Amino acid sequence: MTETEINLIGGLRKQSPRAQQLLLDCYGREVFAQVARLVPGVENAEEVYQDVFVKVFRNIEKYDARRSGLKTWISRIAYNEAISFLRHKSTPMVYYEDRSGEADKLTDAEVDETFGQANAETVQLIRTALKHLPPDEQALITMFYYEEMSLKEIAYVTESIPSTVASKLSRTRKKLCKIIKMLQS
Amino acid sequence: MKEEQIDILRQQDVALRDALKLEEAELPQLPADLNVRLMQRVADVDKKPRRIIWPWLAAACVAGVLMLWLTPPKEMPQDVVATQTVVEQPPIINNKVEENLMTKVETEEPKPAPAPVKSKRAKKQKQPVVEMPVIVTLDDADRNLAIVETGQPVVKQVILTEHDIPITRPENYKYTPEELALLRKQADEAYLKWVELELEISKNNLQQTAQQE
Repeated sequence: MTETEINLIGGLRKQSPRAQQLLLDCYGREVFAQVARLVPGVENAEEVYQDVFVKVFRNIEKYDARRSGLKTWISRIAYNEAISFLRHKSTPMVYYEDRSGEADKLTDAEVDETFGQANAETVQLIRTALKHLPPDEQALITMFYYEEMSLKEIAYVTESIPSTVASKLSRTRKKLCKIIKMLQS
Repeated sequence: MKEEQIDILRQQDVALRDALKLEEAELPQLPADLNVRLMQRVADVDKKPRRIIWPWLAAACVAGVLMLWLTPPKEMPQDVVATQTVVEQPPIINNKVEENLMTKVETEEPKPAPAPVKSKRAKKQKQPVVEMPVIVTLDDADRNLAIVETGQPVVKQVILTEHDIPITRPENYKYTPEELALLRKQADEAYLKWVELELEISKNNLQQTAQQE
């Protein structure tokens, strides 16, 4: 942990508005992007974003630097707030559900081939297919591929264990590939 | 899957990473005034005087304990299934009832209901309180009629079982296999239609991208 971070946490513990403003400047954009990825609609994302930071400011005493970095801790709060918001949302959302276990029948070679082709058509198909995944799986894919978080960090954010995250990631990858195949056929 | 294998996957899946980058670029940006609004909200929350509620909670707890302490214990435990106490009334002499009715018609003055006449025979037949799970289905008018006709109170007894409560019947809260199959079929059809629509949209997007290039 850097000295700046130690000072920042110290300031947050004293409820200093300056430290709070600094935290927003440092992590605000990333948190907003994380929330906006999961929660549809800018207004909803704004609401969840505010709730996340109010929670961060109130619960800063509970932050344990030995367990995670400050950014990962804030990510965890943001993830939980967004998922909780979606659960309480009145409008139902439709996602692909692999009831018959079709995705598991795909071989690793097939999946690797699909995601390894960096052409415009495949990228477009993947973008469409991503919208068919439930929010938690979308978040998992983004945390792993875009934010390049480690399995341990993802496990901390999602309140899980690394081995579970790895198997869930593998399943989600296959599911995504199955959706792409469905779109192609 | 091990960490190294996972890292290899991350590097291999180029198309997936490209798709995510494009998605990220299209995400809404953080509104400029959002942090100002948030700081205002935090300041407002801090300004609000916090109500001290623990004395009220303590008082409520004490009141609850006192109520429990002072409430007399129930003499008999009550069953969940409707249990009703039925006390059989002594028979009423027909003539007496008719007489009372006649008097009522002649004078047309409100009079209290005649008390049942207790005969020695009735006293002998009088039984102690009978307890059993029953529903008494006769109303007062029926009861009076029955008394006039037979001289004996007629009590229709119906024993309640769990099956008589509609909400507990299995057929009322479970779908039949046919209904389930129909629901599943409808869900699949709806999903397929949605996928077709999404496909149309993505095709359209592809065409637009091709035209732009």
